[in-house]
Amino acid sequence: MSGSHCLFCRAEKREPLTFLSLLSPDTSTGFCLSCQEQLERIDPLYSCRLCGRDLHSLEPAFVHDQICHDCIRWKQSGRNGLYGRNYAIYSYNGFIKEVMTMFKFRGDAILADGFEKELKKAYSRIIDHRLRFRFLNLRSGGEYEAIVPIPLSRERLVERGFNQAELLARKLGQPIVDALIREKNEQKQSKKNRRERLLMRETPFHLKNDQVRIVTGKKILLVDDLYTTGATMRLAATAITAAHPKQIDSLTLIHG
Amino acid sequence: MLLSSKNDSSPKFSLDVQHFLYGREYRAEELPFSEKVIKTHIKNGYVAIRPAVELLKENLLDLLTGRKKWQCRRCGNRDQEAFAVCTCARCRKKCVYCRHCLNMGIVRSCTKLVTWSGPAPKAWASVNSVARLCSWNGILSEEQTAAANALDQALAAGYSFLIWAVTGSGKTEIIYKAIERSLMQGHHILLATPRTDVVRELLPRIRSAFPSITVSGLYAGSDDNDPQAQLVISTAHQLIRFSDCFDCVFIDEVDAFPFHYDPMLEFAVRKAAKPGAPFGYLTATPPPGLRNAYLMGSLRGIKIARRYHGHPLPVPLFRWIGNWTRFIQHGQLPKTIHEWLMEKKKQGCQQFLFVPTVTLARELTEILQKEGFERTAGVHAEDPDRHTKVAAFREGKIRTLVTTTILERGVTVPGVEVAVLGADDPVFDACALVQIAGRVGRSPDYPEGDILFFHNGKTFAMVQARHQIEQMNKEGGF
Ligand SMILES: [Zn+2]
Ligand SMILES: [Zn+2]
Ligand SMILES: [Zn+2]
Ligand SMILES: [Zn+2]
Repeated sequence: MSGSHCLFCRAEKREPLTFLSLLSPDTSTGFCLSCQEQLERIDPLYSCRLCGRDLHSLEPAFVHDQICHDCIRWKQSGRNGLYGRNYAIYSYNGFIKEVMTMFKFRGDAILADGFEKELKKAYSRIIDHRLRFRFLNLRSGGEYEAIVPIPLSRERLVERGFNQAELLARKLGQPIVDALIREKNEQKQSKKNRRERLLMRETPFHLKNDQVRIVTGKKILLVDDLYTTGATMRLAATAITAAHPKQIDSLTLIHG
Repeated sequence: MLLSSKNDSSPKFSLDVQHFLYGREYRAEELPFSEKVIKTHIKNGYVAIRPAVELLKENLLDLLTGRKKWQCRRCGNRDQEAFAVCTCARCRKKCVYCRHCLNMGIVRSCTKLVTWSGPAPKAWASVNSVARLCSWNGILSEEQTAAANALDQALAAGYSFLIWAVTGSGKTEIIYKAIERSLMQGHHILLATPRTDVVRELLPRIRSAFPSITVSGLYAGSDDNDPQAQLVISTAHQLIRFSDCFDCVFIDEVDAFPFHYDPMLEFAVRKAAKPGAPFGYLTATPPPGLRNAYLMGSLRGIKIARRYHGHPLPVPLFRWIGNWTRFIQHGQLPKTIHEWLMEKKKQGCQQFLFVPTVTLARELTEILQKEGFERTAGVHAEDPDRHTKVAAFREGKIRTLVTTTILERGVTVPGVEVAVLGADDPVFDACALVQIAGRVGRSPDYPEGDILFFHNGKTFAMVQARHQIEQMNKEGGF
């Protein structure tokens, strides 16, 4: 389990020799340069202020005040509640799809290690940003007080063996609060029609009774692998809202 | 359905379980039977169960350092770098899992492997046949005939046999005689190879040579999975699901680059074979173990030093090109290579350019297209357009194919010439170089051609490869 080979493609990592790398060769577990190049990092300076998506790939007509049209629709729907915003590190593409297939569906849990550096970097960048702009918004500035991974249903967890969101959340290097339960929601959901499901009257998530105290009055960061429509995050936020947290944001590895 | 044997006091087993499990190995969670049924079979000795990932027997040093070493009982992996730990929601412990065979469904230290340990199904042992099964009526050369007979006799007597044949010696037909005899005895035969390409190439040939036999071809993505097939052609990965199944095994490793010597092939094949089943090895570059066994006389075998068309193997030439990757990085083509390609262009030749990495393949392709070699394409093993590009090359629409891997064996484009750029790179070991050189001069109409090793410093592998080729030519009487 040493770091001489790429965590994903298993090619020998051939880092360019520099003076620095000679002094302290990078033996950490991680992806090789060629794999890293295929990951599409989102430019934090030009990403949607609410969902974290890369705005370079959007038509200007769909962006207003650095907010994408999807997020504008969410705002107009009035269903954001306490949910603030999402941060994302990579855009979805064919390569990261392959990596996630290995990670989530084939069970190669160690691939989470390859994202550790970027997750930590993203987290400190977020905190940094929040500290700097604290004066603008006293309510929501500063460090997060509870990091909550989006859970899997019990059945899915046993089938998969692990919760990918939790593995990623652990890489942030902050204490994790396993505050949520996810119901096996398939049958329940299928009984409702599409409109009802979209209205999200009911969330598959529940706050664990013994975790209410930990969440109340706190600034919460939800963590998941993927932000797609944003519905999952808002459903999870709804479940937490009952315990009156101060604020809920989220961080995902991927937007797409 | 529970079957009662003649002796009523003896335990019973289910025919369904027997048919499902016989000759196979499954993860417990893959079985379509209830836990209770399986447990009863285990208790009565019809089904065997064992952990998939186990601790290797520790040596003293490991004991002293407290280091644990794992092995995967399904794929044979012992490379500690290819194991990882994960908190497991199934057993609620930290589980070690094998990264090497993930594509076949994950095995963790809490995963159980299940095999059949009872009697063989009645239908499995098919009736002996006296009619001819092989309908191939081509003609073997004298050398091929001698090899075919020797192979058949050895395997019939239960001995393994090595066919050490030069690239382009036409060895598939050599095994037909042994296959036919083995089939007539009611045997189940395995033809194993590291390459999907080879499975796909062999399948129609074997099917048309043995029209009355059920032949199954297994590779990643194949849907052809007849568990009762008398002859199975398979890649190593797919063999992982077999156990104690075959009476006779052929391993086709010729042109296996870049997959040769995958230790998993050996492990999976051993597991798939019945104990004591004889092996027929077909290779141009036998690994040290086989070569030594053959040279010491403990493994029977035969060498075929001549190509079927009777011409010698083209011998590689070495050309120093200095630090050529610097040129590529700056978007330039080293002069020596440019000159060679211009000369080939004038002659109207097609060529393979082998490079060590996918990145280099991409960069070199771009440079060549810019430098006036428009009919150039780059291809690598995972390239989704691979088959289209190869087809275009075969049709002559593409003149130069930049590649990291040997393409399917069907690509014997007459008159193709080959250059290896960076032949000194460690990915090109002696065997790889011999096999790459073996692409040249296969057609009887064009038995010669350039094989150039462009390098920045001769390596032992290059010298060894050239020596092996010269040695074979000498033995072939040239
Ligand atoms: Zn890689
Ligand atoms: Zn947005
Ligand atoms: Zn394995
Ligand atoms: Zn486990």
